[in-house]
Amino acid sequence: MKKVKIIAGISWAIFCLILILILFPGLNSFSGSVSKLPFMKLNPRYTGGEIANQVIQERCTLDIRKPVFNGFLKERTSGFVQLDWHGTIPEMIKDSIDYDHDGNMDFCILVDRKNSKTVLDPISKKVKGVVISTPTSYGWAVRIGLLK
Amino acid sequence: MDNTLKVAGMRKSFGKSLLFTLPMFLITFMFMTGGKPNFSDPASGLAMLTAFLLVNVLYFFMHYTGKTDRYRAVLFIIFALSLSYTLIHNMLEVRKSMSFSQADILECKIPFCHLVIPMMILPAAFTKSIIFPGSIISGFANISSMVVLWLVATLVLGRGFCSWGCFYGGWDDGFSRIRKRPVIKKISELWKWMPFAVLLMVVLSAALTMMPTYCSWICPFKAVTEFERVTSVESATKAGIFLSLFGGLVVALPVMTKKRTQCSFLCPLGAINSLSNKITPFTVKIDKDACNECFKCVGVCPLYALTTDDIKAGKVSLFCSKCGKCVDACSRNAIHYGIRGIPSGTMKNFSRNLFLFVSFLFMAIFSSGSIINTFHGLLKLIF
Ligand code: SF4
Ligand code: SF4
Repeated sequence: MKKVKIIAGISWAIFCLILILILFPGLNSFSGSVSKLPFMKLNPRYTGGEIANQVIQERCTLDIRKPVFNGFLKERTSGFVQLDWHGTIPEMIKDSIDYDHDGNMDFCILVDRKNSKTVLDPISKKVKGVVISTPTSYGWAVRIGLLK
Repeated sequence: MDNTLKVAGMRKSFGKSLLFTLPMFLITFMFMTGGKPNFSDPASGLAMLTAFLLVNVLYFFMHYTGKTDRYRAVLFIIFALSLSYTLIHNMLEVRKSMSFSQADILECKIPFCHLVIPMMILPAAFTKSIIFPGSIISGFANISSMVVLWLVATLVLGRGFCSWGCFYGGWDDGFSRIRKRPVIKKISELWKWMPFAVLLMVVLSAALTMMPTYCSWICPFKAVTEFERVTSVESATKAGIFLSLFGGLVVALPVMTKKRTQCSFLCPLGAINSLSNKITPFTVKIDKDACNECFKCVGVCPLYALTTDDIKAGKVSLFCSKCGKCVDACSRNAIHYGIRGIPSGTMKNFSRNLFLFVSFLFMAIFSSGSIINTFHGLLKLIF
C-alpha cells in the first residue's frame, strides 16, 4: 500500500510537471477552447444587450439594443436600454425612441456632446432616467433606466 | 545526525547546481527569445537578457545554497512591481490616465485578474454568462487565458499560487520584509479564517448584484493597478476604500507584523487556493524524527499557516503557500518540501528539486513578459 501511494504521488507530480511544460506553449489553444464553453460570454449587463433595431440617420447610425433586465435567478423589475450612435455624429443628438416596439414613442433624448449634457424627456411611465451618457471610441452611448 | 550535515544535504556543488539550472536555462531561453535572441533594438535586447539572467541566477542559487524563500521572494516581488508598472504604463499610454472611464466599462475593455474568479462561478453556473466588463479571448489579460493560467496553477501548486504565481502577493511579501523585527507580535489566529468569510460574502453579493463586488468595492490592489475615475461620491468612496485597505493591509500591517496580512486576512482567492492545497501533489511536510520542536518555523511563517500544535501533530495546515520560509529557517531540515504519498522525512531532495522546477518555471515564464517590459521602460528612461 505504501509503495502504491508513493507511485501514485510521484505520477501525479510528474503529470503536473508536464502540465506546466505544455501550459505556456499551448496557452492560446487552451484559452481558445475555454472561450467556447457555453458560459464564456459576457452578461448583457456588460455588453449592453443585443442590437434590436438599427436606425440609419443622415450621417450616423443609431443602434437601439434590447432592454436588459437580467438578474441572477430571475429577471429584475428594473433594467436599462442602451443606445449607441456611431459614424459622423452631430454636435447635438436628438432622437425619439420606441424601445419596446409597440408603435408609441417611449422617450425623447437630447445629447449636447460639446457640453456633455444629456436631457431625457420620458413619455412612458417605465422610463426612469439617464444611467450613463458617455463618449465612446465609436461615438456616443447612453443607458436609460427602465422599469419592467 | 549533526545539524550542519542536514542543511548541507539541501545544498549542491557548483557543478551540480549548474546542471540542475540547465533545463530552466534552456526553457526560459526558448520562451523569452523564441529561440532567436534579437538585439536589433538594443534596449529590448538588453531588457530580455537581464530578465533571462535574473531568473536563471536566482534558480541557480536556490540549488547552490539550498535556500528557497530568499531567492523566490526576489522574483516574486519584482513580478508584483513590474506587473503594476506594466498595467499603469499601458493605462497611461492608451487612456492617458490610471483610472478607467465609463466608456471603458461599456466597451468591455477592463483587464481581467484572477481575483474575479470566485465571483464568476455562481453567475456562470446559473446565468451561463460572465459578470465582468472584459474581453473573453482577445487582448491583454483576457478572461479565457487568465482562467486557464489560474486553473492549472491552482491544480499544480494549490495555495502555492500565492507565493509563486500571484502578481499581487509580492506587494505584501515585500513590505513584510522591511523591518528586522515585528512591532506587533501577536494577532489572533482566528483572523486567518476571515478570507473564507470574505469569499462567502463576495460570492453571494456578486451573484445577487451581478457585479464583481470585490473588484468594485474592496480590492486593495486597485491602488496600484487601475480604478474607476472619481466622478461621484460613490466612486470617491470606492477610491477611499481601495487606498485605505492598501495602506493598512498591504503596507502598514505587513511592515509592523512581518506577516502577509492582506493575503492572510482578506483575499478571497487565497481561501479558494487553500482548499485546493488538498489535491495538489506538492506539500510541505514535517519530519517528526528530525524535529526538536524549537518552533523557529512557526515564528517566520508569513501566512499564519503553522502553529505549535501543527508541529506537534506533524502536519502543515491548509493555509500553507509553499513559500519555503520555514524550510529555510529550519536548521535540522525537519520541515521540508514533499510529494503527496511519499512519507515525510524521505526523498527530501527529489521532492524539493521537482517542486522547485515546476513552481519556479511557472513563475519565471508567467512573470517574464512584465519584467522585460519594465526593464525596457527603465532602460529607456536612463538612456
Ligand atoms: S492571497 Fe490573494 S492576493 Fe495574496 S497571493 Fe494569494 S491570490 Fe494573491
Ligand atoms: S508553512 Fe512554511 S512554506 Fe507554508 S506558508 Fe508558512 S512559511 Fe511558507
